[in-house]
This record gives sequence, C-alpha cells and structure tokens, in this order.
Amino acid sequence: MTMRYDIRLTMEFAYEGQSGGGRHAIRVLPRSIDGVQRLVAGHVDVAAKPAERHERLDFFGTDVVDFAYDAVDGDLVYHARARVERAARRIDLASSASLAGLPGELAKCAALDALAPIHFLAASPWIAPDAAVARYAREVAGGRASVYEAASALNASIYRDMRYDAEATDVNTPLGEAFAERHGVCQDFSHIMIAGLRHLGIPAAYVSGYLRTIPPKGAVRLEGADAMHAWVAAWCGTELGWVEFDPTNDLVVASDHIVVGYGRDYGDVAPVRGVIRTAGSQTTRQAVDVVPVAQDQERP
Amino acid sequence: MSGRMEETGPAGRRAALMAGYRPPAGAYDELLDADGTVRARWRPMIEELSRLSAAKVEGRIARGDEYLRDAGVYLRQFGSDDAERVWPLSHLPVLIEDDDWATLVEGLAERADLLELVAADLYGANRLVAEGHLPAGLIAQSPEWLRPMVGVEPASGHRLHLVAFDVARGPDGHWWVLGDRTQAPSGAGFALENRVATARVFSELYGRTNVHRLAGFFRDFRENLQALVPGGEGRSAILTPGPLSDTYFEHAYIARYLGMTLLEGEDLVVENGRLMVRTVSGLEPVGALWRRLDASYADPLELDDRSRLGTPGLISALRARTLSMVNALGVGILETRALLAFMPRLGEILLERQLRLPNVATWWCGDPVAREAIAGRDDIQWSAALSTRLPYEGDQPLPSHGFAETGAEAEHLRRTHPELFVGQEIVSLSATPVLEHGCLATGQCSLRVFLARGPDGWQALPGGYARIASGEGGAASLGKGGRVADVWVVARAPVERVSLLGTGQAAAQGPRQGALPSRAADNLFWLGRYIERAEDTMRLVRAYRVRADEAGDEDTPILAFFTDYLTELGVDTDQRLPEALAQTIGSAVFSASKVRDRFSVDGWAALKDLSATADSMGRNADLSDAGGRIMGILLRKITGFSGLAHENMYRFAGWRFMRVGRSLERAAATSAMLCALFDEKAPEGALDIALEVGDSVMTHRRRYSLEASAASVAALLVFDPMNPRSIVFQVAEIDEQVNLLPEGGLMGRAADLARATMRLRTALATAVPDEVDTAFLDRVRLELEAISDHLGRVYLA
Repeated sequence: MTMRYDIRLTMEFAYEGQSGGGRHAIRVLPRSIDGVQRLVAGHVDVAAKPAERHERLDFFGTDVVDFAYDAVDGDLVYHARARVERAARRIDLASSASLAGLPGELAKCAALDALAPIHFLAASPWIAPDAAVARYAREVAGGRASVYEAASALNASIYRDMRYDAEATDVNTPLGEAFAERHGVCQDFSHIMIAGLRHLGIPAAYVSGYLRTIPPKGAVRLEGADAMHAWVAAWCGTELGWVEFDPTNDLVVASDHIVVGYGRDYGDVAPVRGVIRTAGSQTTRQAVDVVPVAQDQERP
Repeated sequence: MSGRMEETGPAGRRAALMAGYRPPAGAYDELLDADGTVRARWRPMIEELSRLSAAKVEGRIARGDEYLRDAGVYLRQFGSDDAERVWPLSHLPVLIEDDDWATLVEGLAERADLLELVAADLYGANRLVAEGHLPAGLIAQSPEWLRPMVGVEPASGHRLHLVAFDVARGPDGHWWVLGDRTQAPSGAGFALENRVATARVFSELYGRTNVHRLAGFFRDFRENLQALVPGGEGRSAILTPGPLSDTYFEHAYIARYLGMTLLEGEDLVVENGRLMVRTVSGLEPVGALWRRLDASYADPLELDDRSRLGTPGLISALRARTLSMVNALGVGILETRALLAFMPRLGEILLERQLRLPNVATWWCGDPVAREAIAGRDDIQWSAALSTRLPYEGDQPLPSHGFAETGAEAEHLRRTHPELFVGQEIVSLSATPVLEHGCLATGQCSLRVFLARGPDGWQALPGGYARIASGEGGAASLGKGGRVADVWVVARAPVERVSLLGTGQAAAQGPRQGALPSRAADNLFWLGRYIERAEDTMRLVRAYRVRADEAGDEDTPILAFFTDYLTELGVDTDQRLPEALAQTIGSAVFSASKVRDRFSVDGWAALKDLSATADSMGRNADLSDAGGRIMGILLRKITGFSGLAHENMYRFAGWRFMRVGRSLERAAATSAMLCALFDEKAPEGALDIALEVGDSVMTHRRRYSLEASAASVAALLVFDPMNPRSIVFQVAEIDEQVNLLPEGGLMGRAADLARATMRLRTALATAVPDEVDTAFLDRVRLELEAISDHLGRVYLA
C-alpha cells in the first residue's frame, strides 16, 4: 500500500554573538526512487537572509541546497517541508545472491554510476576497518548461506546487543568506540552494521531519512522518529539488489521510512555540512514531524 | 680520507679521480661507454675536475653548500621530529645529451596526453570501466577518485597542466617511467636551487658549456597560467597548505621567483560562484590557481570536512567554470600504482598506438592471469595497489585495511585479497658519478622531468632534478638517504639564455599581482609588533640587570619597583632568557614564516639567527650575563634585522603594515612605561629608567640638565618630533603610512582610521608638555588601541 506523508523539519543553529560568513550544504529533502518513493513537493528555507542559495544534485543523487552567508547574527534556523508518497518494496528472498557467489557477481559489475555496489565495498572516511566489528560480523553472519540472511542476522544481533542511548555518543564518536561500549544512536548502529557487512564482502550504504512519528495502530513507536533517522542498505546481488535494514529497530524497511539519500557513510549524506566562521560555540537543535495524510487530501 | 690517492701531475690526478668509480655490472653507465672511454658529454667535466686538486674541488663544493645555507634551502621532514634538513645536494650534475633528452621528452609528452585522456574518461563518460579496460573496484576504492568532481568540466579545457615523471634508464640505456606525478608535482623550485648551487660549484665550466637554461620554462609557465584565467579577469596565484607542509620552502621560493601571490585556503572565499582573495583593498577575483595542496583538503564543504586548509565552496567555482585549476582536483587518481599495469593497454585504446616509453613492469594481482604470470618470480616487489607513492618511497598502510604490506599478515592478505596488491619488477638504475672527498664514486640515478602545457603542447623543464642513491639496490635504494643532483641537458650548439631577473622588458611582462592578501598584511603587521615588543623587552631587561648588578644583594626600592613592573609585563627577571621574550621572538619568526614569499633571504636569515642566538644564550649557563650582556648581544642582532627591513625592503603595502605595527607597538610601549614611571609612588631613579630604555640618555644630557624631571623626560620621549623614540614621532609615522595604504585617507574606505590617527596627532600637537600626567598617557594608549582596531577592521579581517 502506498503511504502519503507530510514531513516538517526544523534545524536550529545558535551561535554565540555575531559570526562571520560561511557556507552550509543542506541535505534534507526526500529523493524519488522508481516504484518506491516519490517526492510530490518539497522546499528548504532559512530564517535569515543568505547571500546566496543554490540547488544541485550530488554524486549519489541526493538533493543539496547550498546556502552562503556574509555574516550570521545569532541563530540560523532551517525549515524543510515535503510531501512524499512511499510504498514498501516487494522482496523476493529467494533471489538473494549466496555469500559465496557474491564476489563473482561483483567482479562482473563494470559501472561507476551513483548506486553501483562497488562504491560501497571499501572503507570510507567515517567507516574505518575495525577488527572487533569484523570478528563480530564473522561470528554472527559469516556462516549464512545467502547475503540477505547474513545481513538480516547482523541487523538482528546489533539490535539485540546494542543499547540505544541518545546521550552516550555524539556525531563524531568513532564507530569502534560505540561498538566497544555497545551503545549509541542510529548513526552508530548503522556505521557498525555497514562496517560488519563490508568485512563480509557485502556492499553496504548509509541511508539518511525520516521515520513516521506516530506508528500505525497496534504497533510500537520506533526509535529515532523525533529527529532525522539513519539506516543501512545492503546489496544482495544483481537480482535482488539493494535491501534496506534498520538495525536501530530490527526491521526490514517497508513504508514507514522515507529516504533522503544514500552515501558511503554519514559524511556523504550529513543533513548539514559546512563552516560558519565563529569565535564562540554553537549549539544545534532538531525537530521532525512525519505525519501520514489521507489519500484524498490533495495539497499540503 | 685514507682512500685518497697520491696526486702527481695531471695524469696522476686523473687516475686518482677515476679510481673510485666502479659501476656495477649490468647497469647502464652514464659516464663511460662499453670500452671504458669517457662519453663525449662528460669530457669537459672530467677535464675540469682533473685540472683541480681534490682539495680545490672540496673548496668549490663548500661554495655551493654555502649558497644553499644562505638561501635557506631546506626540507621539512615529518615523522622524525619536525626537523628541517639542509637540502641534500649531490654536487656533480647528471649530464644528458640533448637529442637523447628530446627522445625522452617526446615519449613523456605522449604519456601526458594519455593521462589527460584517462582523467577525462574517469571524470566523464567512464568508458574505460564500462568496457572492462579498468576494474571498477580499483577506481571506486581509491580515495583519490573524487566523486564531487565527476561531471565537472575544467574551465581550461584540460585537467592536467603541469606533470612530472620519474624516469630511469634500463641496462640497454633506454628510459623507463617509474611513476607519474599529477596531483601537485613538487621539485621544480628545488630544480632551480640545484641549478644555482651547482652552477656556483662549476661556474667557469657552466659558463662555457652549452647547458640548456631553466628560466625559459618558468617564464612560459607563468604566462600560460595567467592565460588560463577565464575571461582574463582576475589574478593567477599559488595555493599552498602553509608553512607546516614539507615543501613550503619550495612554494615560497617559487612564488618569489615568479612574482606570484602565494595564498592559503583561508585567504580565499567563494562569492557568487567566483573565487575571491581577501586583500587589503577588499575582495579581488582569482581566475587561476596553481595548486600545491592535496585535492582532498581543498574544499571542506564537498571533500574532507575535517580540513582546515581548504576553502568552502571552491568546487562550486570550478563547476561555474570561473576558475582554472593547475591541476584539476581529482587527478591524483592517475598516480595510483596499479594504473601502471594498465597504461600500455590504455595507450592502445585511447591513442591507438603502442606507448613509446614503457613504464616499470607492473601486474595488478586482482587479475588471475596477472597473478599467474608473476607467481614464483623472485625479482618482484609487492606493494599496495592503491598507493600513490613512487616505488622507492615506501608505502602508506593499505587504505582499506589499515595494515602494512610486508610480513606474515600481509602475505595472508595477499592470498585472501589479492586485488589490494601489485607486483612490480625490481628496476635497475643507471650508474652515474658522484663526488666524494674530491674524487669520483659511484651513484645510481633517476630523473624527475617536469612537463607544462603550453599553447603548442607540452614543454619540458630541461633538466634540474635527479635523485641519486649511493651503492647498489636499484630504485628501492633511492628512498634511503638519497640525494638530489642537478641535471644538465648538454647541447652541441650554443643555447638560448634567459633569465627572469634579466631585462626590464621581462619584468614589465610580469603578472598583475593585485592587492596584498589580508592575511599577509596581518602577518607583516604582527611581525612589526613582535619585533618591537622583543626589542622593548630586551631594553627593559638590560636596564634591570644593570641595576641589579649595581645593587648587589641589596634590595633597593627602585629594583623592587622595576621587578614589579616587569612582572606585570609577564617577564620573569630570574630567567636568563625570560620566557616571555623567547615567546615573542618565536611569534615574530612564526609570523615571518607565513610570509616568506614576501621576504628577502637576508631578512629571514637575520631573524633565524636572532632566534638561534637567543635560544643558545638561554641554555648556555656558563656565559656571563654581567651588566645585561646577553640582552646587549640580542639587541645588536635585532637591530640588524630592523636595519635590513628599513634600508632594503621595497615600500610595498606590506612593508607599510609592518612599519605601522612597529610604530604602534613602540608608541604604546612608551606610553605604558611612562605611565608607570610617572606615577607619584614611583621611587627615585624611575625617570632614569625611562631615558635608558628610551635610548635617550645622551640626548637628555646634552639638551637638559643632568637631573631628569617629568617635564624633561616627557619633552624628549613624548613630544620631540626629532626623536625616533618619542610618541609624537611614531604617531606621525603611523599617520603618514596609513594615508599611503590602499584607499587610505579621509575620503576612502579607511576614513575612520585616518580620522583616528589625525585625532591623536592633533591631541599630541596641542598638549602642553608640563601637564603630561598618567591620565594623559592613558588616553594616548586608548587612542593607539582604537587605531589598531580600525586598521584590523578595514584591512586585516
């Protein structure tokens, strides 16, 4: 069933006193994905006067809005609004490549386009090789027959072994540290799972996006719904392709998740990148609202 | 030394000269042909050396080394202890015949064309990967393949404008490519230094030998760079990672040599899709950048976001095609070692012919056929496939797995992940003579050849740079304690002589320099302040030491007062070299190091000398400090530097900022000191300190009574327009200089600044000397601070 959502996001950066100029690249608008997700309408704005504003798509196809400022006085508050249609993808488990057959399939991939699996196989700036995660991944998933089963097992075990704790880590905590303490948030869970999958030779991408705020009747409220969320896409061979897992909630992504973009790790899809020249400190706040709308309600 | 032969006459000297030269069997011999006869290009050199005694040769070598030391040529080495190493010049050049050279350059130009086509494909159509000529994984996993650059067409039409190749000769005398340098090839500046130093060692010979000159290459390169500016609007400049980079010396040197602006990432800002430099005249456009910064640091917005060296938004200027980059961001991928395995085939595909020059035989182990081909061979060196280093440079850890490439772990990895490795044939190098104790010994060499793109294709820097290894061991030995030598490309007929320093016409053709970057102005301003602050501290400490010596063990009121005053300034009187002084000198050196491209060699040497002297005097406890002797020595050193700056520096805007910095500091320090010494509670003798520190004892004696009074001291140190130590003198200097700054004066952008200096000048002119008190001096100090603030806001932000 196709769901329709209205998404509202507020991101607030408070700077101490007057700051110099700078630039921000904002990645918060949902993308369209053939047969799964469609961006009906979307817009990002800032409650300040930027000197410049440009929109572009990055290498992986994510919508980026660049803002430039001559000077920032006090706060920067970004507002995003989007209406999205989202359907669950049908997954035929039998079509997954076998773990043993995956290298052969990868060797045949002669492409470097945006979502070619080959981009997501090696270490990346935020996901360094980690011996402990490698060992863990081998133990949990190394013996599985299919890539899907291996990814599924790792997804379940990370959910089981890790404690969700929004205070324990921050955006810069290395994944090895979060793993050693077995705690963190969606970013940590996802980085750990990606590192594990890559150690098993499975291409794995970092997915940034949203989660519906109030669950359907009878379902539990999911972790990560009050801010932007992150999860993992694993490449299960040429036939099955990318399957998305949410290790923070131990589930296979269906129609409750809305994708903003794919990258090798957090750095490729961070909601905000950039620098404002400032002497003082900065604080950030984020608020997200993802509300299903009835099909007959035409305009947001 | 025991190896020295008896020298009896020219024949004996020649035999002694040649005795130690024993090229290894199997290697090509640069000096001797198969019959053991000296090759034609070497004959004049051998004759020259035979005419000179070993001692004379050593004397000549010392001349060359002296030049390098004076010029401050050094390498900063990371890893060790950040030490600077003197440039390791091997004094005997490598001689190459020019037709041999021409063949080499033709082959390299072809290779450069191929590299350009490969880069265009990897950042464009990606046909090479799609058709299976290059493995997708090799490209996708390389940290040098920069995804944000995919699809970005270079404004200049090309991605490569300056490339370098390391080449060596095989046993048959034919050239081999050891590696391609495309990211930000270094060494062209060092080639110039090699040439100057070597030409000093062999000055007469160099003068009468037909050696191709280097200057023409740089003259053309500068012109070509300026021609790359899209639409001709904007300056061309050099982008450096800054003084902490291991080749910063070269960046500063070449900027000075070419008369180009040397910029760091923080000098730049992107505005409406244009790259701009912050200057003392506001933002000015930059249209072409010669990049010496590794690409991943260039733009924290789209590349490595931990970089503090880059400019946010730089890539957006490249996308807007308002900026040409030499070389394009992302061409570092071409240095990937595994690519050497594919180059011959890529040549056939993209150029539709066999490459004229082979590269070192390389096999990428991800290919089972290649693995099979080298299995069991013992002349193969294994290394990381994705490494961008040259074969002799050792290796960084494998980027994707984080461990080294040798040892048991690596061997295991080679079985499980062969695609991370290449095998390369161990290369032999040609033998070439080097000088040891005035006689010849055997070295091995490889050359670095620079090619720059001009309107008519690639143009080579004719010589200048060779790497020399002593002993045997092939390319692998180049890394270990290797040295560098000049390369002379020798012609049969006379060659064209060019020098950038030559005629007025050449100077007039120099690039439009544009206004001074704000950061350079800031550093010069602070250099001025620190130098003055250091001098002032030295004078104070010397005056203190003299009084402490006189007082002996007695605790006089004036001494106690003086100690308190110095303590307030952060100066610990118990330290031989007060920490505060050492820090100030350190800050001056650091500020100067950030603007070395704008600094004369002598000025830099004088500063380093001051810093080294201070350092050694602080440590040498045996040195007597009676009567403030140490400070006296340092004072003479620092006035040496000031003299150079005052007498020899061109009066460009940067000099004015330095001058204003000095004057502001001196006026502020004088008013602060007088403020303390004029205090009612100051003990007897306080005014004498003011005169002594103000270097005005003699003038005071001549002009006033022996006894100093507040009025006489104020007349001399505040109001005397003839006394360079007086506040009035310095304020007049400030006023004069700021009016000469870009858009200075009451009508310009800097009107507030001009008003502030005029206000203070007027206040001083209309004050009554007898009424000078601490409140008045405090007001002067505040006005000086206001001037400094205005200056910072208008020019240095």
